[in-house]
Amino acid sequence: MSFALEAEGLTKTYGAVRALDDLTLKIPAGGVFGVLGPNGAGKSTLFRIAMGLVRPTSGVARLSGSPAGHASSLRQVGAMIETPRYPPYLTARDTLKMLALQSGARDVDIDLWLDRVGLSGAADRKTSTYSVGMKQRLGLAAVFFTRPTLAILDEPTSGMDPAGIQEIRELIRRLAAEEGATIILASHQLDEVRRVCDRVAILAKGKLVAEGQVETLAGRKPALRLVASPVAQVLELLGDQGALDGPDAVLAQIERHEAPALIRALVNAGVDIHEARWREADLESAYLDILQAKEPASAR
Amino acid sequence: MLADAISAERFRLLKDRGTLFWGVLFSPIAGLVMGVGGELFARGMMKGMPPIPVDLVGRMVKALAGGASPVVGLFVLILSTAVLAGDYRWETWRLLTPRNGRVNLLLAKLATVAGAVAVSLVLYALAAALGGLFSALTSGAPLVTYRGSAATDLLGTFAVSWLQLMILVALSAVVGVTTRSTMGALIVGLVLAALQSIVASQLHEPSLKALAIPAFSGDLLKTVILTPRSVVDTPAPWGLALAFLLAWLVGLSAAALALFQRQDLTRE
Repeated sequence: MSFALEAEGLTKTYGAVRALDDLTLKIPAGGVFGVLGPNGAGKSTLFRIAMGLVRPTSGVARLSGSPAGHASSLRQVGAMIETPRYPPYLTARDTLKMLALQSGARDVDIDLWLDRVGLSGAADRKTSTYSVGMKQRLGLAAVFFTRPTLAILDEPTSGMDPAGIQEIRELIRRLAAEEGATIILASHQLDEVRRVCDRVAILAKGKLVAEGQVETLAGRKPALRLVASPVAQVLELLGDQGALDGPDAVLAQIERHEAPALIRALVNAGVDIHEARWREADLESAYLDILQAKEPASAR
Repeated sequence: MLADAISAERFRLLKDRGTLFWGVLFSPIAGLVMGVGGELFARGMMKGMPPIPVDLVGRMVKALAGGASPVVGLFVLILSTAVLAGDYRWETWRLLTPRNGRVNLLLAKLATVAGAVAVSLVLYALAAALGGLFSALTSGAPLVTYRGSAATDLLGTFAVSWLQLMILVALSAVVGVTTRSTMGALIVGLVLAALQSIVASQLHEPSLKALAIPAFSGDLLKTVILTPRSVVDTPAPWGLALAFLLAWLVGLSAAALALFQRQDLTRE
């Protein structure tokens, strides 16, 4: 199996802060891979190390088998690290031309790419006049226009309105399908990751806390939501398996086959059950559960 | 590749009209305006006197000899800090570093500034010649032939002034990379340029300490170039002066490259 990005024992410290803490992660080539984590989890640091912007304190990072940050590996990579910035005196067309020259890419069709990201009408406007969404779209064109085999997108919808997020999400999906590149996507938008990614890794405090297929991570903890009274009696009966979910509801972390017996027991105990519904665990709740646990573990 | 990085940097500079104007064109334009203004003023003061003959090449040589003054240095620093430290200001290193090696990126910037400084110096000299031509055409002053070796004097003063300005550029590269600030590089460069110029003007003997000051070495080299061999009593240590200038340029450029190569770009 070939890997697009490998990190082995990767550690990066800034003074007393450990941005990455002995991180080991292997991102397979092909498809769209999501990297999740709260602010300060180490996502951007991982990408900055991969792109040679930052040197690790210890450990090794590799891009497609070559040492990260080396010119040989970077030629095959396109990256958008955090909010894209551009020299303010350049237009979008000039920016892509300058980047093409810098990459030694002679045969790129700049007009085609400006059209693909919906910037044809603003191609000759200086990027300093662009909105956040337009800058993100230009950033995507800058990532993909040299046709890389690996694209790293760090928070590609950061700071955008819902319509803009939807637009960029569609664009990423389309480019992933049409260009066939491996895409590594870091995002706070869990819905975005669920819709776009095949596999995800969750980072917290610079460590890998979970990694696996989106469906596996998202669906691993279904729960029975009971709206009942008195709630205290339900919690008492469930013990460690119960948790409050609002003023009059309890989440029961039980297996599906245990539900009938639980409901029978509650009714026999005199509890009034107003509603009982399975809540399918989604990526968001799985993500929050994993972060709350804060114990590094593999979900593979 | 370095050639790709140089093409990209040259393209960028040609699009940055503000930097082009202040860093490349302003010194020649100001030189022309001041030359013509000075000519008109002098003519007003010397009414009734015959016009002074105009030596176009002499004017160009004089302009090139003074081409590394702190005033010209200020505008070269505007150019160099914009090119060398602009990517910290605009936070655009993240856009460039994934596309080319760091050494290539910084070398390309130095090469681009070197070319622009050369163009600016040539324009500065041409502006001086244009000022002379204006004087000759409007006052009827005769044009006279240059008395020295035109090619040697023009090329020599050009090369030495260019070298002196490039030392300033390399210094701004070191300060720009260290401070990640265009303003920091500009101010430090300007202060050091003025300081060395003042110190050099106080020194007369070409001791090792004096030769280590670029302004002193530069002035000594220009004097050697422009002084006829027949009037020289003792030969000046021009080789040592040139070696010092080259050592400064290479040393500062290497320091900037080494610092940039090792720099974390967490914060640009």
